[in-house]
Amino acid sequence: MTELLLQQAINWITLGSIYALLALGFSLIFGVLNVIHFSHGDVAMTAPFIALAGAQALAAVLGAAAPAWLALAVIAAVFAVGLIGVVLDKAVIRRFRDAPAMMALVATVALGIVIRELIRHLYPQGSNPHAFPRLIGGVAFDVAGVPVSWFALAVVGLTALLVGLLFGFLHLTPIGLRIRAASQDRVVARMMGISDGRVFRATFLMASSIGAVAGLLFASYAGVTRFDFGVMAGLIGFSAAVIGGLGSMPGAIVGGLIIAGIEVLAQTFVPEGASYRLVFVFMLVIAVLIFRPAGLLGRTILEKV
Amino acid sequence: MNHPASRVVPRAAAAAATTILLQISGAAFVYAILSAEEGWQVVALLGLLGFGFYLLERLPWINDVVVALLARVPVVTTATAAVIVLGFPFLVGSNTYILHLLIVAQLYAVLALALNFQLGSANIPNFATGASYGIGAYVSALLAVNFNVSFWLTLPVAALAATLFGFVIGIPCMRTRDTYLALVTIAFAVVVHQLLNNFEWTGGPNGLVGIPAPTLFGHSFADPIEVFGWTLPSQANFYYLAAAVVIIAVITARRLHESHIGLAWNALRADEMAAKAQGINVAWYKVLAFAVDAFLAAFAGTIYAFYVSYISPDNFTFLVSVTIMTMVIVGGMDNIFGVIVGAFLLTILPEKLRAFSDYRLLIFGVIVIGFLMIRPEGLFPQRLRHYGVER
Amino acid sequence: MSALLAVENVTMRFGGLVALDNITFFMEKGSVLAVIGPNGAGKSTLFNVVTGVYRPTAGRVKFDGVDITGMPTHEVVRRGVARTFQSSRLFRDLSVLDNVIVGMHTRASAGVLDVLFRPAVARRELATAVEKAEALLRESSGPLYEQRYRPAGTLAQADRRRLEIARALASQPKLILLDEPSAGMDDAETDALVADIERLRAQHPELSVILIEHDMRVVEAFPEHVMCIDYGRLIAGGRFEAVRANPHVQEAYLGTAAADA
Repeated sequence: MTELLLQQAINWITLGSIYALLALGFSLIFGVLNVIHFSHGDVAMTAPFIALAGAQALAAVLGAAAPAWLALAVIAAVFAVGLIGVVLDKAVIRRFRDAPAMMALVATVALGIVIRELIRHLYPQGSNPHAFPRLIGGVAFDVAGVPVSWFALAVVGLTALLVGLLFGFLHLTPIGLRIRAASQDRVVARMMGISDGRVFRATFLMASSIGAVAGLLFASYAGVTRFDFGVMAGLIGFSAAVIGGLGSMPGAIVGGLIIAGIEVLAQTFVPEGASYRLVFVFMLVIAVLIFRPAGLLGRTILEKV
Repeated sequence: MNHPASRVVPRAAAAAATTILLQISGAAFVYAILSAEEGWQVVALLGLLGFGFYLLERLPWINDVVVALLARVPVVTTATAAVIVLGFPFLVGSNTYILHLLIVAQLYAVLALALNFQLGSANIPNFATGASYGIGAYVSALLAVNFNVSFWLTLPVAALAATLFGFVIGIPCMRTRDTYLALVTIAFAVVVHQLLNNFEWTGGPNGLVGIPAPTLFGHSFADPIEVFGWTLPSQANFYYLAAAVVIIAVITARRLHESHIGLAWNALRADEMAAKAQGINVAWYKVLAFAVDAFLAAFAGTIYAFYVSYISPDNFTFLVSVTIMTMVIVGGMDNIFGVIVGAFLLTILPEKLRAFSDYRLLIFGVIVIGFLMIRPEGLFPQRLRHYGVER
Repeated sequence: MSALLAVENVTMRFGGLVALDNITFFMEKGSVLAVIGPNGAGKSTLFNVVTGVYRPTAGRVKFDGVDITGMPTHEVVRRGVARTFQSSRLFRDLSVLDNVIVGMHTRASAGVLDVLFRPAVARRELATAVEKAEALLRESSGPLYEQRYRPAGTLAQADRRRLEIARALASQPKLILLDEPSAGMDDAETDALVADIERLRAQHPELSVILIEHDMRVVEAFPEHVMCIDYGRLIAGGRFEAVRANPHVQEAYLGTAAADA
């Protein structure tokens, strides 16, 4: 029993970290643009495909396949996805900044369809699932007879590192300060002239590359990737960000951990829990929003009258 | 202000003639696009449609004049519309594919009208219309398959069940707004879909099969209709059934729109706080919008289930809700005619893009984004209400 | 005590900020009360507490003999309190006429089922509402009736203010709260506003009015009951001349005047 619990605790932390990274992107973008970028999950899940394609291209050009090619392709994918985010912002998302919330929502849902369909058409046999390798293999050490994989450690470590970097960036660099100012008070930010392209570019670059890391880790965790993984990734990341409180970085992390926790708990303790896990996750989302309409760590905004 | 419609005060006879002509050309266009087989025909007809919308955009008074004309001779307008709707299957004859498209388009029109109460009138982003649709379909199908209940009895039961569901979604939505509210409805949609997918008694992912065709006065809807020596394929039964529900939906929508309830929805759309200050119980009106939406969606769901006789959870996903939402936005929010046009357009268009069948979803997505960026108010924007002589 | 409105020891805190500090006052039927004070003094918060937008941290609000503390806004309005907003909040995409008809919402008795199944009843009720609304628009000093089929968002500033007042009156309130009705009006328009309020009182002697005002000419026109709020506290109350002469009031105003300069 202890072993099972321990094993599930490791799964929880791993999955929770990945969800937290996804939720961070939603929260960051919402904070700055006041727009839900619903296709953020789809953007994130392009990363595994870009990495696979990159590795194959490198192998084809430089000869035999090698782990180094994959590593290189993975890093390239993170940057490429960051750029995709910036382009999508400029082409589509930014235009919905002042539109009613639901317009932006529908537009980005449609954008998600476009991204998924593009993956399906551009990647060879894009409709099929594609195996994705464990980026880091092997067992690091045992805790009470339960093996802790290097992968789990890497996920947690990478998440902590990214969160730390993000925090430092937002608090120490001038552009980070401007992003925070913009997300704290949009009116003031606009009066101060902050709402220029650089803030948006920086936000989307960071959010999308962090999303790409999450997408790569998720594919690696699942061992497989598919063109429509982005739907669930988006729904879960969005839910985690909302549960935690949109615009709140700690909230996004807490939200990711809570959702992963519910999933793992359902799988462990409820008979047939695996098939009902999404029911539990979304029941929780509903419950949180009934009792805390602004999320757990979100500020309740008193409307100015 | 000089109301443009008042510039034209047509005589009744002229108005009647124009009205009939307009409606017949509209019907002829729908028939032409439905029966177009060649790629170039489709492109030409779409070009014509695009030109029409371009004209409307450049010369908005056309819209006002047409509305004034139709309102001038309401009896003629209604009678012509009735003749066209009744006669269309005779024109189509044995082409069951066209009839099928028309049935689906009409069901979507009902769903879009249902969603319009929230999205259009009250600006509530509801992503759970697909779920209400599914609940309607499943409740009636389960009753028919397991207990042999007649279609006509399952219809009100399904509507009641879905309305109850509407109230349930509506309650958490009293406290949440915008994005948060959207997520609550998405969450409900996912939960319903997942439950349908997992319960044994709903048939799991395989769904329910063998839903019997309805009968009316001994006539089974699986049989062809024979009138005055004409024989219409069995689909015509469902065509007329769907048409009846569209009419019910239009009457419901009009009566609500032209009452203080429609005004209250519009008020809370414009400014929730100011609406409260006029004594509007905002929470109740939001819940009411959910209930009406679910009620009508259940009608569409029931007819769908009995028409195709086979339903599965994948007919009622989150993406179905997005499709319905797109129809409302493209057609024109809070404009009953526009919403119906949106439903027909977005049902028929993908079918006509068969030439690019593999890229249909991609094109669909691009069109939606383009629409939201270029013409967010839709093809037929909402109109100000006019009272008394102006009508 | 048969005061129409009784505000007793009302305190409103937002986190550490005290927006209203132990405010008490009473108001008789048919009277006009002008509330003055520097920006951010808590005047609008007072309106929000009375109309149920905020629930006060402490204290009670009684209206027409009923405790309405913390009652939802729409209930308070139904009992006969109407208001306008500082930043006129019209239903911008509805016509001028429809704005007033929405204002009559509490008078509509047809329910959903009536609307759906007895359309004649609902239509008759709406037709009556249209007539009343048109009458209200004709009575207004501005050219509102002529513009009744314009979207409210396209009106000129002064007309927006007038429309907001017409909309508030549509519910036939016992008490109307006007939040800076003269904001954005020129001298002539302000005079017309004063005349409007005077005419209103003549037509409805029972109607009570609370005005938040910065324009002293408006306050001067209704000098019987004036109170001054500063930092959430009631610092002076009484006739206009007395309040104006009060040293605390002068300090509050001069202080901000100096700060503004």
